[in-house]
Amino acid sequence: MSGIVASGMVMDPERLVLMANQIGDFFAPYPPGPREEGIRNHLRTYWDPRMRAGLRALIAEGGVGLYPHVIAAAVLLDEPLRERKGYYGPPKPPEI
Amino acid sequence: MPNPQKPEHSVITTCAYCGVGCGFKAETVGDRIVRMTPWKEGKANHGHSCIKGRFAFDYYNHPDRVRHPAIRQSIDEPWQEVSWDVAIAHAAAELQRIQRVHGRASVGGVSSSRCTNEEIWLMQKFVRAGLGNNNIDNCARICHSPTQFGLTSTLGAGAASQHFDSVLQADVILIVGANPTEGHPVFASLMKRRLRQGAQLIVVDPRRTESVESAHVKAAVHLPLRPGTNVALLDALAHVVVREQLYDEAFIRARCYWPEFEQWMALVGSDRYDPDVIGPEVGVEPDAIRAAARLYARGPNSAIYYGLGVTEHSQGSTGVMCLGNLALACGMLGREGVGVNPLRGQGNVQGGSCLGSWPHVFSGYRFVTDPDTRNTFEAEWGLRLDDEPGLRLPNMFDAAVAGTFKGMYIMGEDPVQSDPNQQHTIAAFRQMECVIVQDIFHTETTKYAHVLLPGSSSLEKEGTFTNAERRVSRVRKVIEPLAGLADWEVTVKMMNAMGYAVHYDHPSQILDEIARLSPAYRGMSYDLIDRVGSVQWPCDAHAPEGTEVLHVTTFPRGRANFMLTQFVPTAERTTDRFPLLLTTGRILSQYNVGTQTRRTANVQWHGEDVLEICTDDAELRGVKDGDWITLSSRVGAITLRARISPRVHAGLVYTTFHWAESKANAITTELSDWATNCPEYKVTAVEVVRAAVVPARSATAAQTVGAPS
Repeated sequence: MSGIVASGMVMDPERLVLMANQIGDFFAPYPPGPREEGIRNHLRTYWDPRMRAGLRALIAEGGVGLYPHVIAAAVLLDEPLRERKGYYGPPKPPEI
Repeated sequence: MPNPQKPEHSVITTCAYCGVGCGFKAETVGDRIVRMTPWKEGKANHGHSCIKGRFAFDYYNHPDRVRHPAIRQSIDEPWQEVSWDVAIAHAAAELQRIQRVHGRASVGGVSSSRCTNEEIWLMQKFVRAGLGNNNIDNCARICHSPTQFGLTSTLGAGAASQHFDSVLQADVILIVGANPTEGHPVFASLMKRRLRQGAQLIVVDPRRTESVESAHVKAAVHLPLRPGTNVALLDALAHVVVREQLYDEAFIRARCYWPEFEQWMALVGSDRYDPDVIGPEVGVEPDAIRAAARLYARGPNSAIYYGLGVTEHSQGSTGVMCLGNLALACGMLGREGVGVNPLRGQGNVQGGSCLGSWPHVFSGYRFVTDPDTRNTFEAEWGLRLDDEPGLRLPNMFDAAVAGTFKGMYIMGEDPVQSDPNQQHTIAAFRQMECVIVQDIFHTETTKYAHVLLPGSSSLEKEGTFTNAERRVSRVRKVIEPLAGLADWEVTVKMMNAMGYAVHYDHPSQILDEIARLSPAYRGMSYDLIDRVGSVQWPCDAHAPEGTEVLHVTTFPRGRANFMLTQFVPTAERTTDRFPLLLTTGRILSQYNVGTQTRRTANVQWHGEDVLEICTDDAELRGVKDGDWITLSSRVGAITLRARISPRVHAGLVYTTFHWAESKANAITTELSDWATNCPEYKVTAVEVVRAAVVPARSATAAQTVGAPS
């Protein structure tokens, strides 16, 4: 890790990228749609808002090092307040 | 001459060491505890015990016990003993000052599985109601947090599906990444009983442990995989189940989502996870993988027991999901003799997990983002609660290094010794303005603390523990708290000092509050536990005396879920510079980082941590049995004595972490589980060389300052 932390960042950007890509690795085998939803739900449910803000700041600066599907998922975090759900779990199972 | 040790009184209580949670009679003469006798009516142990619970209790009265509160302005100053009132007022004032200057989210807390359910509950209440954020975590973060995530994702409940006695009806026992004979010896005795009756055993472990072959134990199949490859191996087992159509279609159609199963089948059934492909990759014979899969799938009753060898990996949560998937595919859930069962490390780590001592969930694993759940807590506690998840323990340290996290209240934890990448943890503590540690001994972490609050051992207070089979048992006060207050009383004082007024006359009232706010505990009370001995959650109107086996007719979400478990190799790789893989574990006579057991006569059985290395790797390095060696990784180096051992194969070395001076976590890395940040303790690339300098330290350092974990 670089050890250089931008002002206001909750943690080292390289660690944020590593953690976000690890989540991306897990959801990679899911089909497009549920894959991004799964990543978004995980970030929304398990990450402190400062960590999410840090990730979005990195994406705003180009998202260097982040997987494309992680960037696509992080964009979904920008939901309007009224659409916030209480449950943000794994992708919903397919219809029976 | 009369026997001076002859007990005058006895109190029935629960052992605080491992997650088995044995019932004991603590026998006293005056105010001294003279003997711990296993309680025959204890439902977890049926009168059995191990050498920790039975003999390692003298720590309670050790001269090292912290008996007075103390404060200091900086970590470079000596401690100043003060009254309880002064210490608590100072601690609260500091937390309030930090929040005024750096914001509400700049402080947090950590609870301990050494403490009771009631104390863990109060700690998360302190953070949520007293500090106004969700920066609360517990030590399961660094051991079984992937269990909660992985089992919740698949089965819907982050806990063991069975009771311990269920193993007596298992035909096949699959142990993955656990060594019950050392870590959970009383459960291991029960398991051995079943093995003597003819049950078959499969062991997945890099080492040839006692669980593979010892008295009364001989595994039918041992899969000695390379550390870090659990998911690949478990997916290969699933591959055999899929390709040979060993799955239970009726169970899957009735209890799961068939399209999800098909999706999973397409992944694990692909050529990528063929044993002929995975075997060489993970270091296991392909035919052994096939044999294990067939044995497990054909049961008829197959039970999975697993430990930290599954969870403490960068794919720890995925590994747990693999186990859930496997049990679902083979229909091994919902009756006696089957199931998926985490062997929890600490006496109350299940309680720490299910009672909301997490930054993202309330009790019962209900998300803080869920307004309905939040509303019930807000109504009971009388204030608005934060609707955003807080920082996890490793992220608190990351944030501290970044300068945005400035204060912590730590109950019975020693992160400096027990958390990975020790240099990073110390750097984090050095950045904090107020660290409050509540513990029974000085620890490695108290070196970086500003307020020291004396803790009380489990022998000094009333409460309950929840063991690895979801069994809630009473902890009863045997002697008075040495420093005058039980831990729960200290946290209550801290809450009041922070301006959040609370009052409890007795811990039973705290369990009553837990029951009001936690569906799985709804029927729990001290009266019920006293009447029936112990109670397994869920305990409610449908199961007024608790539940032994989960998932009998339905899963918590109705149906269970197959999760896709692609193998992703860890970033921790061997190199020319660090060509060996280190993995870690425990020994029977000592407990975790040894704070308690190292202060007892149990040190005679295990006086130091050693590095197990195989003959070939030792000879290659000119190392002989008993030599001092330097063990180095990319983040640090430590010195240990070498032991040539047939239990490890070429390329693998192993050590325990019971002694503070071994500093095992000076070499573990920052890598962690993708879902939970549980550290990857089980995989570190290392090199071993003969030590140039022999360390000047005692091999029986019973006085060493240590820590609970």
